[in-house]
Amino acid sequence: MEKVLSKKAFPQWVKKLESYTMYLPRKDGDFWNYEVIKNPEIIDLDYLNTVLSPKKIIFPQREVLLEFSTSNEEELKINEVLPEEAQSVIFGVRPCDAKALTLTDKVFGGDFKDPYYWKRRNSTALVGLACNTPPSPNCFCLSVDGSPHSKEGLDILITDLGDKYHAESFTKKGDDLLNLAKALFKNPTAKEKKDLEKIQAESKKKIQRQIKDTKKIPPKLKDMFDSPFWDEESLSCIRCGICTYLCPTCHCFDINDEVTSSSPIKGERVRTWDNCQFPDFTMHSSGHNPRPDKAARLRQRILHKFQYFVELYKNYQCTGCGRCISKCPVGIDIIEVLEKARDYGS
Amino acid sequence: MDHNTYIPKLAKIIEIKEEVGGARPIKTFRTQFLSTNNFSFHSGQCAMLSVFGKGESIISISSSPLLKDYLQFSILKMGRVTSSLHEMQVGDIIGIRGPYGNSFPVEDWKGKNIIFIGGGIGLAPIWSVLNTALSIKKDYGDLMLIYGARTSKDLVFQEELEELRKRMPVHLSIDVEEPDWKEFVGFVPQNVTDKKPSPKNAIAITCGPPIMIKFVIKALEGLGFKDEQIYTTVENKMKCGIGKCGRCNIGVHYVCKDGPVYSWAEFKKLPQEY
Ligand SMILES: Cc1cc2nc3c(=O)[nH]c(=O)nc-3n(C[C@H](O)[C@H](O)[C@H](O)COP(=O)(O)OP(=O)(O)OC[C@H]3O[C@@H](n4cnc5c(N)ncnc54)[C@H](O)[C@@H]3O)c2cc1C
Ligand code: SF4
Ligand code: FES
Repeated sequence: MEKVLSKKAFPQWVKKLESYTMYLPRKDGDFWNYEVIKNPEIIDLDYLNTVLSPKKIIFPQREVLLEFSTSNEEELKINEVLPEEAQSVIFGVRPCDAKALTLTDKVFGGDFKDPYYWKRRNSTALVGLACNTPPSPNCFCLSVDGSPHSKEGLDILITDLGDKYHAESFTKKGDDLLNLAKALFKNPTAKEKKDLEKIQAESKKKIQRQIKDTKKIPPKLKDMFDSPFWDEESLSCIRCGICTYLCPTCHCFDINDEVTSSSPIKGERVRTWDNCQFPDFTMHSSGHNPRPDKAARLRQRILHKFQYFVELYKNYQCTGCGRCISKCPVGIDIIEVLEKARDYGS
Repeated sequence: MDHNTYIPKLAKIIEIKEEVGGARPIKTFRTQFLSTNNFSFHSGQCAMLSVFGKGESIISISSSPLLKDYLQFSILKMGRVTSSLHEMQVGDIIGIRGPYGNSFPVEDWKGKNIIFIGGGIGLAPIWSVLNTALSIKKDYGDLMLIYGARTSKDLVFQEELEELRKRMPVHLSIDVEEPDWKEFVGFVPQNVTDKKPSPKNAIAITCGPPIMIKFVIKALEGLGFKDEQIYTTVENKMKCGIGKCGRCNIGVHYVCKDGPVYSWAEFKKLPQEY
């Protein structure tokens, strides 16, 4: 379904969706982040990308898996804690971040479907915002099979046409959202369709960064496991983990028990994001660590994204959002690392 | 919605046996589920054990899948979870989820001779498959166990090993000489070379510390065993047990899901990171 909505009518549309929990990027100090919106009057879609991708809504940084407690009769009880089934909409999802969810889908799907993830995923609609101008100078979606107007993973894609929005729905979830405010939407005119095409073509030209010959990288990496390259490239890393915490495709987590009372025992089993750049991530209790240094951990990060994942799922586990490049405190740049790897020893 | 595999089933500890004392103690636990269950598994698979308030640890199931009355685990005391397991008493409740991972391809081994080679706590995963093979002994050829530990006090399943001698050859070893020790003195790989099991129509399974596995495989290769005839189990730090938390991988293999059992032929193809 293809429609056009005047910008002025955007808050009215959002208002019609009141029965949903709605998330929109909001500015907090210098940064944009997703927040639940209560007052649709004061919203717009004029923002750069959020610090954390909408992954944090589907797969929160900390979540309770179960509660446990002993009563006075010493009887132990455990209680499954699943997320509430709240129909939600996330507005303004950048195409790279939407695509990232199609990648975490693969991990949380498979033989053991992760009920926490899927409860939220299935009840959430993603309304994307095309990037007419790349929100970051480090955007490189075009080099990893993406595009600033990609619909992959989205229910609706919105494109800014100046004083109005073009909104295209690709799913039933998306159609439902448009149908709730039918009167606000018009069918696009021939001119509007033309404008859209022009904007889409121009937006691609504005992407400032690219990886050349991305396809050559996975087979090259496969032969570089034992290369001194990883020592060279990881020297400056201070293992802060920002690169993976901010990544919209990273899915690694830890599971721990948090105790609120020790007698009688009461507490929660929680999962929290974890990080392959931390030594503890793989360290056995004996002290043995199969990834004992920064080189092994950078290698894991790069190989996971550009070789293992490609071998397992035929996709790069990277959507080109550029967050890890912009935020690494020591300037490790995944594009440079990949291009150097591609040309290494030749 | 699919079954939530993160929620453990509650089980009662019905028996605890001290296998090894001292600085690296090992205890064997038998557990029974509180409610009727359909927990069925194959030898080589693991279970994620919970001590509520402490966390979870992945442990090999050391009982045979043919035994339905209880699950057995032999546990070396290491950190948070295993230490609190060691403090538990008969009647205490733990959580169990699983089974996870792949298993020994025992069906493919019918008619073959099997040599079990273990070191220390590494006898635990072997114990399940060994007992399965023993209980349908007519399906297999000759069975042999080669097992060793640092000292005679560090050998697990001592009573059971004496019983086992009546049914199959058992070759024990300890690392350094002790008074009254009548069997082999030296490392497990040396004992393998000494006992010379024949590679003809045979499968060798080896579990134990990584360094032992490495040299056992060298010893087996020296005796003419091919990579496809050698099986081992791999250990990596684990949290989820289902290929999602991302920490146990060796290349594209998630040891929790695709392992822990590998033939040496398969394992050699993986990146050398373990
Ligand atoms: C496939 C497999 C089978 C195993 N079978 C047995 C067995 O039969 N008997 C036995 O005694 N031990 C076994 N282990 C090792 C056992 O899982 C660890 O010793 C145990 O998890 C340590 O937990 P902890 O809480 O006592 O130590 P801590 O140091 O407090 O560890 C914290 C957490 O990290 C994880 N962790 C740390 N080290 C390991 C490790 N080496 N392997 C897996 N997870 C780890 C666990 O989730 C653990 O709860 C096995 C490991 C694997 C991978
Ligand atoms: S953000 Fe940079 S310094 Fe921090 S862990 Fe990643 S690569 Fe290392
Ligand atoms: S233990 Fe989580 S991926 Fe293997």
